[in-house]
Amino acid sequence: MTRIALTINGRPVKAEVEPRTHLADFLREAQALTGTNLGCEHGVCGACTIEIDGAPARSCIAYAVACEGASVRTIEGFDDDAVMAELRAAFTAEHALQCGYCTSGMLITARDIVLRLPAADEARIRKELAGNLCRCTGYVGIVRAVQRVLSARRSAATPNRPDTPA
Amino acid sequence: MKAAPFDYARPRDVGEAVKLLAGAGEGGKPMAGSQSLGPMLNLRLVQPALIVDLRGIEELRATSETTDAVVFGACVTHADIEDARVPDPARGLMREVASNIAYRAVRNRGTIGGSLSHADPAADWPSALALLGATVILEGPGGRREVPAEKFVTGVFETVLRTGEVLVGVRVPKVSRRARTGYWKFCRKPGEFPQAIGGVLDDPERGTVRAVIGATRGPPHVLGDARALLSRPGDAALLALADAAALADDAYDRQLHAVALRRALERLPA
Amino acid sequence: MTAKGVGARLPRKEDRRFLKGQGEYVANLRLAGMLDVAFVRSPMAHARIRAIAKPRGREAEVFSAADLLGVRPIRAVSGLKGFKASDQPVLATGKVRQVGELVAMCVAPTRAAAEDLADLVELDLEELPAVVDMIEARSRPAALVHEEWGDNVFLESLADDDLSGIRRDAAVTVRRTIRTARQHMSPLEGRGVICEWNRRLDQLVMHSATQMPHINRAGLADCLGVDQGSIRVIAPDVGGGFGYKGILLPEEVCLAWLCRKLGRPVRWIEDRREQLSANANCREHHYDITVYADARGRLLGIDCEATVDSGAYSSYPFSACLEGAQVSSILPGPYKMERFRCRTWSVATNKAPILPYRGVARTGVCFALEVAIDAVARALKMEPHEVRLANLVQPGEMPYLNITKKHFDGGDYPEAVRRAARMIDVAAVRARQKRAETDGRRIGVGFAIYCEQAAHGTSVYFGWGIPMVPGHEQCAARLSPDGGLELRIGAHSHGQGMETTMAQVAHSVLGIDPENVRLVHGDTGLTPYSTGTWGSRSMVMSGGAVAAACDEIAGRVKAIAAKLLEVAAQDLVLENGHVRVAGTDRKLALAEIAHVWYRKPQLLPADVDPAGLEATAGYKAKVDTGTFSYACHAATVAVDTETGHVEILDYVVVEDGGKLINPMIVDGQVFGGTAQGIGTALYEEMPFDAQGQPLATTLADYLLPGATEVPAIRIDHIETVSPHTRFGQKGIGEGGAIAPPAAIANAVNDALAPLGVEITESPLTPRRIAEAVMKARA
Repeated sequence: MTRIALTINGRPVKAEVEPRTHLADFLREAQALTGTNLGCEHGVCGACTIEIDGAPARSCIAYAVACEGASVRTIEGFDDDAVMAELRAAFTAEHALQCGYCTSGMLITARDIVLRLPAADEARIRKELAGNLCRCTGYVGIVRAVQRVLSARRSAATPNRPDTPA
Repeated sequence: MKAAPFDYARPRDVGEAVKLLAGAGEGGKPMAGSQSLGPMLNLRLVQPALIVDLRGIEELRATSETTDAVVFGACVTHADIEDARVPDPARGLMREVASNIAYRAVRNRGTIGGSLSHADPAADWPSALALLGATVILEGPGGRREVPAEKFVTGVFETVLRTGEVLVGVRVPKVSRRARTGYWKFCRKPGEFPQAIGGVLDDPERGTVRAVIGATRGPPHVLGDARALLSRPGDAALLALADAAALADDAYDRQLHAVALRRALERLPA
Repeated sequence: MTAKGVGARLPRKEDRRFLKGQGEYVANLRLAGMLDVAFVRSPMAHARIRAIAKPRGREAEVFSAADLLGVRPIRAVSGLKGFKASDQPVLATGKVRQVGELVAMCVAPTRAAAEDLADLVELDLEELPAVVDMIEARSRPAALVHEEWGDNVFLESLADDDLSGIRRDAAVTVRRTIRTARQHMSPLEGRGVICEWNRRLDQLVMHSATQMPHINRAGLADCLGVDQGSIRVIAPDVGGGFGYKGILLPEEVCLAWLCRKLGRPVRWIEDRREQLSANANCREHHYDITVYADARGRLLGIDCEATVDSGAYSSYPFSACLEGAQVSSILPGPYKMERFRCRTWSVATNKAPILPYRGVARTGVCFALEVAIDAVARALKMEPHEVRLANLVQPGEMPYLNITKKHFDGGDYPEAVRRAARMIDVAAVRARQKRAETDGRRIGVGFAIYCEQAAHGTSVYFGWGIPMVPGHEQCAARLSPDGGLELRIGAHSHGQGMETTMAQVAHSVLGIDPENVRLVHGDTGLTPYSTGTWGSRSMVMSGGAVAAACDEIAGRVKAIAAKLLEVAAQDLVLENGHVRVAGTDRKLALAEIAHVWYRKPQLLPADVDPAGLEATAGYKAKVDTGTFSYACHAATVAVDTETGHVEILDYVVVEDGGKLINPMIVDGQVFGGTAQGIGTALYEEMPFDAQGQPLATTLADYLLPGATEVPAIRIDHIETVSPHTRFGQKGIGEGGAIAPPAAIANAVNDALAPLGVEITESPLTPRRIAEAVMKARA
C-alpha cells in the first residue's frame, strides 16, 4: 500500500492505496464518488473522463498513486460550475442523453470544448467529441447542445473567463 | 479488468530512476503518461513487478532550444506540443501530428517519450520523429547515449533500450524557413490507430529530402533520400517502394501505404 | 393534448440525476460486507473438461459446477415443432462450448483480488474441433456442439410455395449470397449483478442491470429450485440494453447461489473484455436469396435460404430460434408479391448464444432484400426508389394482409419513399455523379424501407414458439394523500425516458402535472408482472396500461368530487391538477380530493368505491399483431476507392410511428438506432478464427461509431394513427437500427456500379470495398 495525498473536488484527501488501483476505482470505491462510470478500462470509450489539474483525462488508465499532489475534479465537483450549468440545461433541451451512462464524461469533455475552442464549428465539435462514445443518442443531441452553448456564449460576447475554482 | 499487483516508485531524478530500473531488470517498467501502459496493465498484458513513475522528475518535463534544435524532455505531453506551449522545430508539423493523436483526454497525459519507448508501430511519433531526423537521448547504468530516432524502434513494441535504460529526451533539428512538410495517415475512425502513415520533408536549405512510411509491421521505414518522390512518381513506383520494404501483409496494405505516401506528397505546399 | 401531455416535446425528468452524476447503476450500489466475484472463463471454443484445479489453500473461495449442487441448467425450449432443446449449465459441465463460457467462480474482497485468484485456477482442457462457420456447421460439421442431437441444427423450417410459374415468367432473376457479421450490442454499461439476502423478508434480493426483472425472477427460481416469492429482482438505473440485458444470465444464477451459501452480498460487474470476448451474440446471418421480377420491376416472388448463427445454447427467455422463426415471416416486408418461399435454419455453433439485438431479424432481412432489390433496379436500369414505389403496398389497400399473413394496420409506405427521395435529392446526386469529384471519390445514393412490427402480443409469440409469451400489461396507480400520483409498471427504462413519457400519459388522462407523477418501475417487489422492455412494446403496452389505470383513478376521483361539489360526475373535467365543474370556475384540487379520501372519509359518498385511490388496470393492444411502424432511410455517401473509406454525406429518415407521445424522445430513438445501424453497416464485426477465438476483444478492434462517424441525421415524420392502440401510438424504438446497413450498402453499390462492383456483405469495411475495387480492375 502507498500513501497518497491529493485534492478531490476541492477537498484535501489522504488515503492508502494499492499502486494498481486506477483513479476511477479509487474515486468510486474508496471515495464514494460514483458519478464517474467505467465503460472499458482501456482508455477508449471516455465514460470515465474527469479532470486532472484542470485538463480532461481518462481516470481508468491513470493510477491513483500517480496522482500524488494532483487536483482531481469529478462530475460531482461541477455541481456549482456556471459553464456546466449552461451545458446541463442545453443537454436537457436538446435531449443529449438517454441512459445517462456516458453523460458524466461527455459533459466534462463538452465543457473543455466550450472553454478551449469557443469558435469550434460542427466538424470540430464532432472531432473533439470523438473520444466519448455514446450508444444511445447517435450524438445528434449532444452536438446540438454544445453548439447551443457555444452560440449563446458568442452572442453574449463573454471573454474566455476562468471557471469557478475547484 | 484490474491490473496484477505491482510496486510503485516515484524517483525525483533520472539517476534514481535508472538505479531502480536496473535493479528491477526485466520486472521493471518506466511509466510517464500511462496512456499506453495503463490499458496493457489493466488487461494484464504486462505484469511488471515495479513501475517507475517518471513524472516526478522535473528535468524530463523541460524543453530547451538552441539555434539548431529543440530538445523535448521525455515527459512533454502531446497537448503541450498541440497547444504550442513548447516550440515546434518543424514549423507546424509537430503541432499537426500532436493534435491528431488519439483524443484530447489522452493527449493531456500521453508523452512524447512514452510514445516512442512504447514503440507501437501505429503510433505517430516514431514515424514523425524518424522523418524529422530526430535523435533520441537515453540514460542508463552505462551513462548517457544518443540514437537516431530512425534506429530507435526495431520492431513491434521493440526498441534498442537496454535493461535499466530510460528515454530522457528527444532532440529535433529545426527545419529551415523554406522547408515543406506533408503528413497523411489513414484511420478507420479519427483518433484510432492508423493503418498507414506517410510523411515527407523537403528542406532545400539543408539539402534534405526525406520520407517515411509508417504503421507497418515493423519499424518506420525511412527513405533518407527521397528526392525522386518530389517529381510525383506514379502509383506503380510507390507500390514498389512499399513492397521493397517488405512492409505489408497483402495487396490492400501495400496500397494503403502507397496511398499514404502519395497523399503526404500532395499535402506539400506548392 | 397540452404542452405537457401526449404529443408534447417535454424535457425529461430523469435527466436531472444523470446530469449530476447521480445515476444509480448497479455498480454504484454499496452494501456492507460485499464481496466481489471474477469468473474463470473458457479460453477455448470447444473442449472437453478433464479437470479444474483450484489453487491449494484457497479451495473455499473457488466454485465450479461440482459445488453447485441442486442448481439446474438454464433451459429455453421453443414450442416450434422439431426444435432441439439443450441445457446450458450455469458453470460448464463436461464440455465447454464457447470461448468465455463460465467454468469457475472466484470470490474475494475486491475484484482485483478475485482476478488474481482466477489466474491461479488451472484448467485441463482437451481441445475439440471448433464449429465456427454456420454453413459448414449444418452441412459439413467438424464436430457437434450438442452430441446428442446428431447435427448442429436447433431448428429448420420451411414456408413453402410453388415458384415454377414465376421462374418461367420472370424477366429478371437476381440471385445473391449475402452475409452479415456477428456483432456485439455494446451498451456502454455492461451487465452487472449484486445479490444480497434480506433476512426480514427471507428473500434473495438481486439487483441486476436487466430489461426484464420479472422474467429473470422466474428463470432464477427455476434454476435454483425455489419459489418465486423468495426472490426479488430489482433493475436500478440501466445504462443501455438494446436486447443485451434481456436474458437470464448464468452469472445471475451463480451469484444467487453464492449469496445464499456465503450469507453475504456478492457482486459481479461485467468488464468490457469479458463482454467482447464472451458475448458477441447477434446479427450473424447468411442468405441465399433469389428475387424474380418482371420487365417493369414488379416483384413476382422471392426464394430464400436463410441461416442464423445461433451460438452454443438457447438463451432464456427468447430461445435460440426467435430470429430464425422471424426471418421467413418478415422477409417480404411491406412489398407485394405473388410467391414466397423461405427455408430457415437456426444453427448451433461454438459462440455465445444468440440474443435479439435491436431490430432482431429485421435488420438482416432488410439488408438481404433491399440489396437484392437494388440489383433488380440496376438490371432494369430503373431508379431503385422507383422499383420500390412499384411494389410497396399502397395506402388505399390498407389494412393489408401480406403474403406471410402479416396484418398491416395502415400507413403510406410509398409516401415515405417519395419524401425520402426528395429530402436526399436524388436528382442532385445523379447530376453530381456525372461530374468527377476533385478528390477522386465516388458518390452514391441508396434507399431502404422496412416495417417494424411492435408490441405484438400473445398469439404472435405463441406462434413463433417463444417460451415467454406476453399477455396483458398492468399498471398500478395510486394517488397519494397530497395529490401526487405514483405509477408502478413492470417494464423498465434503459434510456427510453419512461419516467417522462408515462407522466405525459397520466397528464393527458388526469390533468395532473407530470412533475407530480412518480414512476416506479422494474422491481418485482413493487410492480405488477411484465415481460419487460423489448420488442418496442413499452409505450403501447405499458403506456396503455398507465392510461387505463389513470382512467380508473379518474373515475374514482370524479365520484368523490361529484359528491363534494354536488354535481353529476359527467359534468366534471380534469385539468391542471384540478377537477372542475364544466362551464364554471368551481373546482377542487386533486390534493383536496385525496385529502378527503385519506383524512376525512366522513365526507365521502356512501357508495364510494372501497378500493379508493388505488387502481390496477390491465391492457393489451386491440389486435395481437400489434402495430406496424415503418420508415424509409436514404443515404448519400462518398467512397474513397483507394482506401475503401466511406463518408456519409447525408442521411435522412422518413418515419411513421403513429401518434408520437413525446416527439423529442422518438427522434432520439431514431437517431440512436440509426447510429447503431451505421455501426452495423460500416464498422462493427466480431470475426472468429478457425479455432473459434473472437478476434476483436477490445474497443480498439471492435469499432463503435463515434461523433465523427454519425452524420447530422434529418428526420421527417408521417403520423398515421394506429387504430389499435390507446393514443394511436406505435412502437418505434428499434426501427432506426433496421435500415441503415441496407441504405448504406445500396449507396456504396450505387457509387461503385460503374466499376462493376457490388458488395453483399456487412460491414462494408474499407478493406472489403478496396479489395472489391482492386479485383474488378484486375
